[in-house]
Amino acid sequence: MKCVITIELGTNGIRVFAFDLQGRVIASMKGFYPTFHAEPDHSEQDPEQIFITTLYVLKNLLNEHIHPKKLKVYCICFSAAMHSLLAVDKNGNPLGNAITWSDNRAKQEALDLRASALGKKLYAATGTPIHPMSPLLKIAWIRSRDAERFKLTSKFLSIKSYIIHQLTGEYLMDYSIASATGLLNIHTVTWEADALKYAGITSAKLPGLAPVLATAGKLKKAYQQSLGLAADTKVLIGSSDGCLATLGDGVKEGNATITIEDSGAVRVMGPTVLQDDQMRFFNYLLTEGCYVSGGPTNNGGNIFDWFARQFGEFSNPFDIEHSMQQLIEEAAKVPAGSDGLLFLPYLLGERAPIWNANARGAYFGLHIKHERRHVVRATIEGILYEIYSIGRSLAEQRNIKSLSVNGSFGTLPFCTQMIADMFNRPVRLRQQSHSVSYGAWLLSATEMGLYPSLDVAARTVELPDVYKPDKKRHAVYADYFGIFEKLSHKLFDEFEAIGKLQQKHAVMEMPVKQKIKL
Amino acid sequence: MNQFVLQQGKSPELRLFPHLLEVGIRKNGAIQLNTFSATKTEALRLYYIIDGKYEWRIDQQPYLFYPGDVAVVMPGISFGSDNGVLEIGSFTWIHLGIQQLENGHILPGKWSGLSENEGAAIGKILSLNSSPVCTGFTDAGKILKGIHAELFGHEIGYQARINHQVDELLIQVTRHMTKQSHPGRDFPKTFMRLEEVLRENLSHQWTVEEMAALVGMGTTLFTERVKSFSGFSPINYLINIRISEAIKLLKRPDISVTDIALDTGFYSSQHFSTTFKKLTGFQPSEFRKNHLRTK
Repeated sequence: MKCVITIELGTNGIRVFAFDLQGRVIASMKGFYPTFHAEPDHSEQDPEQIFITTLYVLKNLLNEHIHPKKLKVYCICFSAAMHSLLAVDKNGNPLGNAITWSDNRAKQEALDLRASALGKKLYAATGTPIHPMSPLLKIAWIRSRDAERFKLTSKFLSIKSYIIHQLTGEYLMDYSIASATGLLNIHTVTWEADALKYAGITSAKLPGLAPVLATAGKLKKAYQQSLGLAADTKVLIGSSDGCLATLGDGVKEGNATITIEDSGAVRVMGPTVLQDDQMRFFNYLLTEGCYVSGGPTNNGGNIFDWFARQFGEFSNPFDIEHSMQQLIEEAAKVPAGSDGLLFLPYLLGERAPIWNANARGAYFGLHIKHERRHVVRATIEGILYEIYSIGRSLAEQRNIKSLSVNGSFGTLPFCTQMIADMFNRPVRLRQQSHSVSYGAWLLSATEMGLYPSLDVAARTVELPDVYKPDKKRHAVYADYFGIFEKLSHKLFDEFEAIGKLQQKHAVMEMPVKQKIKL
Repeated sequence: MNQFVLQQGKSPELRLFPHLLEVGIRKNGAIQLNTFSATKTEALRLYYIIDGKYEWRIDQQPYLFYPGDVAVVMPGISFGSDNGVLEIGSFTWIHLGIQQLENGHILPGKWSGLSENEGAAIGKILSLNSSPVCTGFTDAGKILKGIHAELFGHEIGYQARINHQVDELLIQVTRHMTKQSHPGRDFPKTFMRLEEVLRENLSHQWTVEEMAALVGMGTTLFTERVKSFSGFSPINYLINIRISEAIKLLKRPDISVTDIALDTGFYSSQHFSTTFKKLTGFQPSEFRKNHLRTK
């Protein structure tokens, strides 16, 4: 019997799934790799550790679940977080660590470009918002601030391109990941000349472009042997996590998908891009003529994590799930709207829809009758008002009739119901399996010929659980949302002012580097 | 109890306890100058505050101490107050003669009932700890009081009891320190701190017990948390870091495979080769040939 393996190179680690040919999960495993912050604004990951973790987890999964059942691995399909950048030398060896999407070092470059006519032009051509996350700006940063690395660089890769190069020897980048680099013209599917010029490189410094269904060469012999895989095992280049989560939820005309993990996004899929003068949305490419568009937020489940760590009861040490569960039980005792307490969740600044790195958090409307549980509920409502706010800006251009939800925070039943109520739309979700991996399975199945196209594959997705909106609660949320939205714009000057003061009065935090002798 | 100071070599009460270098209580009724100047000794010094508020320097850094706090001063570290000022209040202390190893770690002596491994782990955790203050640690005061009572009471079995209580003090100080720096709320943060220590001491032969103790957890809970957070057992995660670091070193021409093996914590180059090949399919030397930077 054949099976399909999917590998997701995520922000916090790797997830590997094995599926049978009906799309049922046979097994899954994960492996953590760390993000390093050697300097403020820097977020880096070690490409070698990501590679070793990939091999380690893959090998364990194969040895424990696949080889004992004598299953034949038809293909290994990759997905990855967007916007990573890794410079390698002429031998393919990394020059420093990989720079992740959350790295902010290119913030000045981003501010300058965003304000320019070129910035507007590049956004329209590439679909990637002008933001420090974009590899375009990271390359520009390396060119002007790390000339030595720039000079030695033979290729600028993504993390996924590096892992695939290790496994097969090919330098490739799929359309989806490429469309999130800020360097790809998403209308012509070629590297954009103006972007290359801005970054100061030629297309020779970038990997070859490949459609998401392409085979990225053959596994090297050594890995065939160490993993116990046949020579004809295909390595599928796959797509990005955002695009595959959208595909995996079967998103089509008239619906949108909401992902809320640490951060979050609202996405739609269609044959046209979303135009926006304010550059609020991204437009990434799944395949030619099929765009995944939407808006990302910085403040998702990580904000509730923060709240739980500061204010939760930790009756079991280190058990944050338990303490979150207790908080949610408290929040459930408060009526929708938290009796008029609002929370702006901008603890990490914000991307869509306000795109304001200076934005900060706030509780508004506190009244002497509010209790601790109101604050808990308001915190969750604030995170989801922000998601709703992105959804509303998308609704200016698309008709959204129903929603699906994925991601660890979004799929908490309490949150899913709240999303249904806020949007006043039915919400579907998938239990157990993971939307990104399921998207990678649909992609693999299409490559195998089980489906004639990704479009047909997407239509087969069934999301059994439905949360129905409650009209009364919707009316309450709609009332309060008006104030939420106003505040997020009205406080623009004060956000900037307090951000400046926070910087001015910040006690320089020394990096926790203990000199240890052993 | 009244004030007293017992010193090794001078006080007969300590004759049976060569590892107790000094034990005392001080009640200070008026501010005094030039009585508490900074000193360095070879002892592990613990000071417990009973009353008052003290500002002392440990290793040049100023710290404030309130009742219930303990100052933990490692051997060879300077300790005292500016201008030798002694503020009003009372405190009690103990100086332990403790073996210091070449690598800076300390080991309790033969008097201790701790096993060699546990003693070494406690010594290492105390050496690695960055904060010399245990706050709100009244149990330490009770243990010290118990030691005083035994020293003067001479009841049957007092020799064993005193040594037990010194062990107890070391254990509780260690546990308190690790719980203090890892308050049990943020496992990802705790894990990242541990990660950093592992990376900086990769050649050390870490045991799970040591890793768990370093973050103030029991071995069972620690292993379970690491597994559910990282997907790996603690030792497998460590192997992961070892191989990742080894790969980077293999790409440099100036260091031998044997040195790489030992630097990254493998027992031998054989052990390194086997583990490396199992995971990557390549012998380290083959891998090096394919990737050397100067190719």
